[in-house]
Amino acid sequence: MRNNWMRRQRLLGYVFIGPSMLGILLFFLIPAAYSFYLMFTNYKFMSPNVDFVGFDNINRLLHDDLFYKSLKNTIVFLLAVPVSVALGFLVAVVLNEKIYLKKLLRGLYFMPYITSGVAVAFVWMLLFQPKQGPINGLLRSIGIDNPPGWLSTTTSSMYAIDIIWVWFMLGYNMIIYLAALQEVSPELMEAAKIDGARRSQVLRKIIWPLVSPTTFLLLVTGLIMSIKTFGIIQAITQGGPGNSTTILSLYVYQNAFRYYDMGYASTISWALFVIILIITAVQWIGQKKWVHY
Amino acid sequence: MELKRRMNWDVPKRLVITVIMLAFAIIMVIPFIWMLTTSLKTPTEVFEYPIKWLPAHPTWDHHVKVWTGAKSFGTYYLNSLKIAVIGTVGATFISAFAAYGFSRIEFKGRNALFMVYLSMMMIPPQVLFVPKFIMFEWAGIYNTHWALILPGFFTIFGVFMIRQFFLSIPHEISESAFIDGAGHFRIFLRLILPLAKPALATLAIIDFSWQWNDYENALVFLIDERLYTVPLGLQNFILENMIDYNGMMAAASAGIVPMILVFIIGQRFIIQGLTNSAVKG
Repeated sequence: MRNNWMRRQRLLGYVFIGPSMLGILLFFLIPAAYSFYLMFTNYKFMSPNVDFVGFDNINRLLHDDLFYKSLKNTIVFLLAVPVSVALGFLVAVVLNEKIYLKKLLRGLYFMPYITSGVAVAFVWMLLFQPKQGPINGLLRSIGIDNPPGWLSTTTSSMYAIDIIWVWFMLGYNMIIYLAALQEVSPELMEAAKIDGARRSQVLRKIIWPLVSPTTFLLLVTGLIMSIKTFGIIQAITQGGPGNSTTILSLYVYQNAFRYYDMGYASTISWALFVIILIITAVQWIGQKKWVHY
Repeated sequence: MELKRRMNWDVPKRLVITVIMLAFAIIMVIPFIWMLTTSLKTPTEVFEYPIKWLPAHPTWDHHVKVWTGAKSFGTYYLNSLKIAVIGTVGATFISAFAAYGFSRIEFKGRNALFMVYLSMMMIPPQVLFVPKFIMFEWAGIYNTHWALILPGFFTIFGVFMIRQFFLSIPHEISESAFIDGAGHFRIFLRLILPLAKPALATLAIIDFSWQWNDYENALVFLIDERLYTVPLGLQNFILENMIDYNGMMAAASAGIVPMILVFIIGQRFIIQGLTNSAVKG
């Protein structure tokens, strides 16, 4: 009797995860499988015939200049991640010291992260305005006569996006580092100071290695998170000027919902998946190699 | 110890560092300040340099323009609120249920299923857009709010975060209730959920902010202007008012200010939640 009850209780596990599992099935697993199938078709929205085209899409991808260009743009975009991690670390280290207004400062640095989205992108669009915008106004007033065109030229636009992205991510990295620094024992740091180690050395030789698991985690999650984003770019440049800010995730969106070339869009999206897979694999292997616990 | 610390880091030094950090922090929030002041300025003042941080003739006209007329932000707000509130409530409960199953009941295949969950995190949303578009079209929920609400119920991050919290609750607590004959449902509702209130609040706030800010899904799944959420409405406003910079910034304020308020109120929960799921994950 009691045994029976126990067994039933254990089966309840499926009931508890049931609703969530159903959603994962409907909105993740089945669409993913469907998308995998679409990769081998010439499916176009509104067109009645769908043919199986084998590896045509993959071939096309490998010979698509715009794909390589967006891959390159993606890499430039991802440069923002290590920069924001490094800056987040520096801010966290200083905020971890005995200073005033800690909570206020933490909140101010973190604010961009919570107000993400297109709204902020549009503010930056005006700030970066090349002729009259306040950023170039400031640069001119300190004697730079030819300030960059920011979002308006093909050579600078990706870096302008990088600046927005560093600004956006910095606060999150700082918050996670602050938590990691709490775990560094104060005795260890006191001891280091008594030993006459200078502050910068304590930072380099003790704190930096101790938080290396956090650094690694932030790099990997930051890269994966960033590679999936296209909202702010779609909102302010739509990939322009001249495809100079078309990153892979945006390229998928454009093919699917601007050209309705959905078979091909699915193919590009799986290329994106492969990159995420590589980053994750590097994480698995690298965690053991480079992280000092 | 305390004395020594003070000598290492004396008051003037503390002050100087605080001021430097405050200066950088202000640079971080300048875009918001600029947005707010610009929304109150007259068109000729927008790009005046040096920047006037206090408009000479403050005007609410641009905000009025954003909030009235045929395309008032009121509609977008109601749409966003509806989607984010229903989505958040659903996501919080469904995640809590799943997290309980994954952390406190031992059933066959549990770990394998959890691995499936985690592996789904690697699938970029771009992979899912096209098939979801086709499926939603077929099911008749494309271009309705359900296309955002239903998928919004399911967050892998949420399950993961709450599970982390449930794992930290000692097993003895539920074990004794279990021996007394209480089943898992009763333990979950009467014992574990009340203990998990802070974790649930954290997830709710983070999830709400994500759903409120979500632009990409709305862009893909909504076409009808009356159904637009705040981010889409904002984009629409800006496309139609490309030269009205003051209006643009008034519209941007309408999108950003609620999130700043949510952040000020829920800062503790947000920071705690993000930290826990990252560091202990």
